[in-house]
Amino acid sequence: MQRRQFVKMLTASLVVMQTPAFASTLKNNKKPSKIVWIIQRGGMDSLHTLVPTFDPDYSRLRPKLSRSINDKLLMLDQGFGLHPALTHMHQLYKQKQLLPIVAVGSGYGRRSHFDGQDYLESGLTTMDHDNGWLGRAVDIKQKDAIAIANSLPISLRNSKASTWYPSNLKDADADIYESLLGLYQDDELLRSRLEQGLKVQVMAGTSTNKRNGKFVSLARSCAKLLASDNGTDCAMLEIGGWDTHNNQIGRLDRQLQELDQGLAALRTGLGDYWQNTVVIVATEFGRTAKENGTGGTDHGTGSAMFLAGGAVKGGQVLGQWPGLADAQLFQQRDLMPTTGVFSWLATVLAQHWQLTDKQLAEIFPDSKSYQQQLIV
Amino acid sequence: MAEETNAELAIIAVNRFGLGARSGELKQAKVDPQQWLIKQLQAIKFSTDLPSSQQVFEIMAEYRKNKSKAKQQFTEKMQTADMQNIEMSDPANTSNNKGKSKKDKNTKLNPLKSTYRTLTTDTFKQAMLSENSLSFRLLDFFSNHFSVSAQGNFMVPLAGTLEREAINDNLLGRFEDMLLAVSKHPAMLVYLNNEKSVGPTSRASKKNRGLNENLAREILELHTLGVNGGYQQADVIELAKGITGWSVAIPKRDKRSGFLYRAHGHEPGRRNLLGVKYSQQGVKQGEAMLRDLARHPNTSKHICTKLVRHFISDSPSPQLVDALQARWQATNGNIKEVMITLINHQQSWLPEQQKFKTPREFVLSVLRALGVKKIKEKQLFFVLQSLGQMPMQAGSPAGYSDEQQDWNGGSALMSRIEWVARVAKSYRANAEKIMQQTLALPTSNRTYKSVIRAESREAALTLLLMSPEFLRR
Repeated sequence: MQRRQFVKMLTASLVVMQTPAFASTLKNNKKPSKIVWIIQRGGMDSLHTLVPTFDPDYSRLRPKLSRSINDKLLMLDQGFGLHPALTHMHQLYKQKQLLPIVAVGSGYGRRSHFDGQDYLESGLTTMDHDNGWLGRAVDIKQKDAIAIANSLPISLRNSKASTWYPSNLKDADADIYESLLGLYQDDELLRSRLEQGLKVQVMAGTSTNKRNGKFVSLARSCAKLLASDNGTDCAMLEIGGWDTHNNQIGRLDRQLQELDQGLAALRTGLGDYWQNTVVIVATEFGRTAKENGTGGTDHGTGSAMFLAGGAVKGGQVLGQWPGLADAQLFQQRDLMPTTGVFSWLATVLAQHWQLTDKQLAEIFPDSKSYQQQLIV
Repeated sequence: MAEETNAELAIIAVNRFGLGARSGELKQAKVDPQQWLIKQLQAIKFSTDLPSSQQVFEIMAEYRKNKSKAKQQFTEKMQTADMQNIEMSDPANTSNNKGKSKKDKNTKLNPLKSTYRTLTTDTFKQAMLSENSLSFRLLDFFSNHFSVSAQGNFMVPLAGTLEREAINDNLLGRFEDMLLAVSKHPAMLVYLNNEKSVGPTSRASKKNRGLNENLAREILELHTLGVNGGYQQADVIELAKGITGWSVAIPKRDKRSGFLYRAHGHEPGRRNLLGVKYSQQGVKQGEAMLRDLARHPNTSKHICTKLVRHFISDSPSPQLVDALQARWQATNGNIKEVMITLINHQQSWLPEQQKFKTPREFVLSVLRALGVKKIKEKQLFFVLQSLGQMPMQAGSPAGYSDEQQDWNGGSALMSRIEWVARVAKSYRANAEKIMQQTLALPTSNRTYKSVIRAESREAALTLLLMSPEFLRR
């Protein structure tokens, strides 16, 4: 007997048991509210992604970078234009399912990737590496969550979230998993990890393209894990490669294509579930307003974030534009953040998962939600 | 330490400090576990037959020349010959490749990728066979501390040279010498874009080129002071200016290879880093800045904490870090002396297993336990890729995580089981014997019982290698 059959039997009961609260929502035919959290690691250059065509300082600060995309931008409202690679996202915007927010910051004021990412993931002003904002939300709402990763990223720590990542190895014999469960009986950590691993492999199924660790393929698998009434309600994806210190034009073009295709894969894979899904895309910080000496940009502060999905009140650009004149920049160098990523996240949680102010205060103790309506 | 017997300490020595016991090591370690480890602190000798970073640039230049030549030949042929008779393949193929196998073409055509594989496989194999596996642990530690990723044409062949040159040459010496060697090494200069960074008011700045802060920032944040080490954005800029002109020779143009200081790219004038003024000229300015950074107390704190986290525990004991730091300060950052302090400290020998092995440590310890002598490149890369720790592919200058929670996820555990089950099938080893020579478990132990009672040799070996005791160190 191979593992998948064995595990199917082993976990069939578990899966059924994990369908507590949806009975009521299912009655009125509404799909469960799902969240996909995508972190862009490396610091996405928002000024090259969501371009302020109206800002007189833009092309002065970035003569080379702006020239490469200026006449190909996909226009949104208020004079903002999307990078030409983001064709699918542009479609979503037109269908009112994409909501870009300009000039956001996590509140992290320095320029280290790793610290900045940890900060964004923990959601706390005093860093705790074992406690993530999404993990706290999932824990409070008793949701089932999964990270598409080999091990749990900080965002989902402090919850019972599991992990899944494609493997190019063949299954071992079922007996071995049974024996190992026995061997780990006094080892809480290994036993729970093995149980999680077994369960998730069943959900991911065999048809998943095993080897492929590319973002698009991960997004496809992610959608598959989410697309059921009684499955997982929350997933996290990671996409690296945004640290464009040099040759930014070509590199960002590829990066953005990957992101765009990943969102398309999520939408297709989620099918009917897309209608009640919010995808949140954010990065640890933005990059310098001015292009650097090697055709790229250095670490900065303010950036942009995106909400996408059928549940999103899209087709509008939110956030306040601070301007790019020297005096308007943060430390005369970076885009100034005018609203907080944590507050936007709190707003999504409040409106999409109905978290109360008290619960939100546990998730983001130093940020409050905004009044704007983000969810349909 | 007094309560534990030498037999118990020997198990800690081979697993926590080394890469797991090979046959006979536990016995040797038992005599005097600390001395056994200290004796392992010996320089690693790498073969000089494999490409150096200087040769990589020559290989690269040759490759480019051949590629454009082949392209040209191909185009000419396309124009003159009958189209139907020509194999429609990669234009970079040389003309007489008909009948040769695909594999043959690949190795011939992509010396860049094969250089990466040859170098990293060689390092891995030596670690697998070494009697001084502690030194390889230390090499892995600093190689990851100064992480470079094999991404992009230049970095693929270059990445594997950094640890074999700049790091290994200074592995048991002073940290400041290692820092300087690394910061001048082509792999690091290219990886963090310093080779093209020029001072804003230097002579070279006119041609649309300027400053790039990348290497300077990571030196401060990752290589020396640490992220909370007390530097500001202004310090990043000052250091970046101080090392402008630190570049890499282009063999064709510069008629040489390796590190090249380009005076016309160096930002003129005095620098001010962390309140200290640097009025040196030329390359000496950056060198002085780096030496001061290496000697800064926050650097010793940062690196000693990381060392304890790597070797001992994810929650480094403050006394242990203090002891290492004191030795660091007393010896001007002598890495060997700091390691001896680590080995001799009571807190390094707590009997409970402290950490889940990283994939690399796990694979090495399995192969060492099985007494494997040879491993094929293809097999090695397959397993390291499956378990998520390909050599030189952390993808970030911070390197791979050194914390166990980043390696012990459910999916990662499943992959280990799958690989171990496969290994157990191909090596019909005696699990009981291997258990005795790596972990020496008491007969009352659950793993011991499971291994003894397993239904087949294969199952016994899988259980042993996937046991809580073997997964941790």
